Amino acid sequence: MRLPDSVTGSFLVVLGAAAAYGGWILPPVPGQPVGPNVFPLVIGCGLALCGLAIVFGIGRSFEEEEVLVPFEDGQAAASPPQEKLQGKLYGLRALLPPALLLFYVVAADRLGFIITAAIMVYVTSTALGARWKLALPLAALSPLAIHLIFGKLLRVPLPAGLLPAPW
Amino acid sequence: MLKTLIDAFALISTWEVIIAMVAASVYGLVIGSLPGLSATMATALLVPVTFYLSPIAAIATIVAASSMAIFSGDIPGALLRIPGTPASAAYADEAYAMTRKGQAELALGAGVWFSAVGGIAGVLSLMILAPPLAEIALSFSTFEYFWLALLGLMCATLVARSSPVKAIAGMFIGLLVACIGIENPGGVPRFTFGLTDLFGGIEPIPALVGVFAVAQVMRAMLTPEPPPLPRRKFGSIMAGQWKLTKLYHWQMTRGNIVGIIIGVLPGAGADMAAWVSYAMSKRFSKEPEKFGTGHVEGLVEAGASNNASIASGWVPSLLFGIPGDTIAAIAIGVLYMKGLNPGPTLFTEKASSMYAIYLMFIIANILMIPLGIAMIRVAAYILLAPRSAIMPIIMLCCAVGSFAIGNNMFGVVTVAAFGVIGYVMEANGYPVAAMVLGIVMGTMVEQAFVTSLIKSDGSVLPFFERPVAAILAAMAIGALLWPVMVWVWRKLKPAQAAAATSR
Repeated sequence: MRLPDSVTGSFLVVLGAAAAYGGWILPPVPGQPVGPNVFPLVIGCGLALCGLAIVFGIGRSFEEEEVLVPFEDGQAAASPPQEKLQGKLYGLRALLPPALLLFYVVAADRLGFIITAAIMVYVTSTALGARWKLALPLAALSPLAIHLIFGKLLRVPLPAGLLPAPW
Repeated sequence: MLKTLIDAFALISTWEVIIAMVAASVYGLVIGSLPGLSATMATALLVPVTFYLSPIAAIATIVAASSMAIFSGDIPGALLRIPGTPASAAYADEAYAMTRKGQAELALGAGVWFSAVGGIAGVLSLMILAPPLAEIALSFSTFEYFWLALLGLMCATLVARSSPVKAIAGMFIGLLVACIGIENPGGVPRFTFGLTDLFGGIEPIPALVGVFAVAQVMRAMLTPEPPPLPRRKFGSIMAGQWKLTKLYHWQMTRGNIVGIIIGVLPGAGADMAAWVSYAMSKRFSKEPEKFGTGHVEGLVEAGASNNASIASGWVPSLLFGIPGDTIAAIAIGVLYMKGLNPGPTLFTEKASSMYAIYLMFIIANILMIPLGIAMIRVAAYILLAPRSAIMPIIMLCCAVGSFAIGNNMFGVVTVAAFGVIGYVMEANGYPVAAMVLGIVMGTMVEQAFVTSLIKSDGSVLPFFERPVAAILAAMAIGALLWPVMVWVWRKLKPAQAAAATSR
């Protein structure tokens, strides 16, 4: 997900300009020189300036290379070449967690907490490389445990849906 | 004074507080020892639970969990060379080198002992610094608060281990997020795009959970699993620590002081403290050639430093609502929720609660020694848990926890969105800590700024007229111009620039 600085910088310029414009068009408070419009205006301009600076590469010399702890000979992980083989789609796996959270938002009220949570756990676990022997019991037990802590002890109103919790 | 102390004792000697503290300690130790799960994340995931506790018990959980997690990060650092939390990254190599020399006990023991000492030094700084500062802060007007907040934001960008321009941009993004909602000087819906869910603004806590927890699960999807911990038998862990204390007492004190200073600076936390102290230890050591080969001196100084910063990070948080680090940023959210609004009056009106916080910090750091030793002995079993079993549970906690904060699904959407934002920012070198600070402080900065502007009738001059305001202004502007000066200086001396980049 490493994008060129020119891309992120341009995005910030647009975002800052939009924020400044959005602040500009807010209605002022009658009889007062400053209202809700001033702050977004200042921030938007600042953000746009930063974006410009980033596009032109100002401040890049301060960036430190990420310090990676080199592996010991025996621990050398075989994964970097593997990653390349899996190609571009591999990077999209990172979007799985937020996607699952959105799935929870959509499905929890209909399916109920237990079922939705079990699906989330199973998918996350499998995506991280667990076999079904680990993922299935985990998906069966962890929603119950979480429900016990949050639903029963802390009284968070978790949706019951199709399969209410046994307590 | 004595009466407040007794009141404070009464506040913390309830079963609820004691159980909350022990449970949070164990939780902090476990999360901190798992590579990839940071102390900040441990604290963020605790917040939904604190909703249902009394104010003191809620703060107890945060104090205990954060202190324990910072120490516990040393364990996989020493045994696997993989730091459990970023705060242990500075000296993971050194500790691992000691393990290979057969001194794992000494390295881990130094971790426990000097963490506890550092933590207590941090509390002392909190006890000594906070009341006189509160006295001064009582006379602050909105002008001083504006500059102070700005100075806090600038510090966060200066200490980021990244381009200062990107850090400032991250800060602006955070401030922009804080603009959302109707809680602004005009009371009009701002940047809500007609969505009623956005009227209340973005809650800082779900945003923090997203940035620190969901983004971490996202990164885990793309990184290889860390190797399991080799099982080993440990000898006595505390043996020789007293000798080390006497031998390196000056290094320990210096570590404590550096940690306290870095903790007080807004935005800079335990990881920064450890890096600076380790570097300092090497620079001033009598035997710098031994560093990197399994020498305990750096461990002493950095271990004392990162835990000291945890408590001193609460100084600006309690006084001004300006978080000293990302953990304190979460603590501020909890303080507001529990009716302990940060500010100088907290020390006069709720003095017993303040003393209770000091006491809890001290207890947590003493508790760290036995629990830490136990943790070291069972760490091999806990680290057997594969990532594919832990991350799904973290995901569930994110979903349920963010729902519990407002009992509405919008919290879960916020967490997911900030997970993506945090992940993308981190991947492109934008420090998320700066954004977090912006989100937490946004409302306060705007209020101070707009109220000051109204008072001054739109003129800029009164911002500099009061003496304290002028000093703070000079510091804030200096902090803003500092990277520019460094940049110009590097341009003028290309030879040094070349040396600096090839480093």
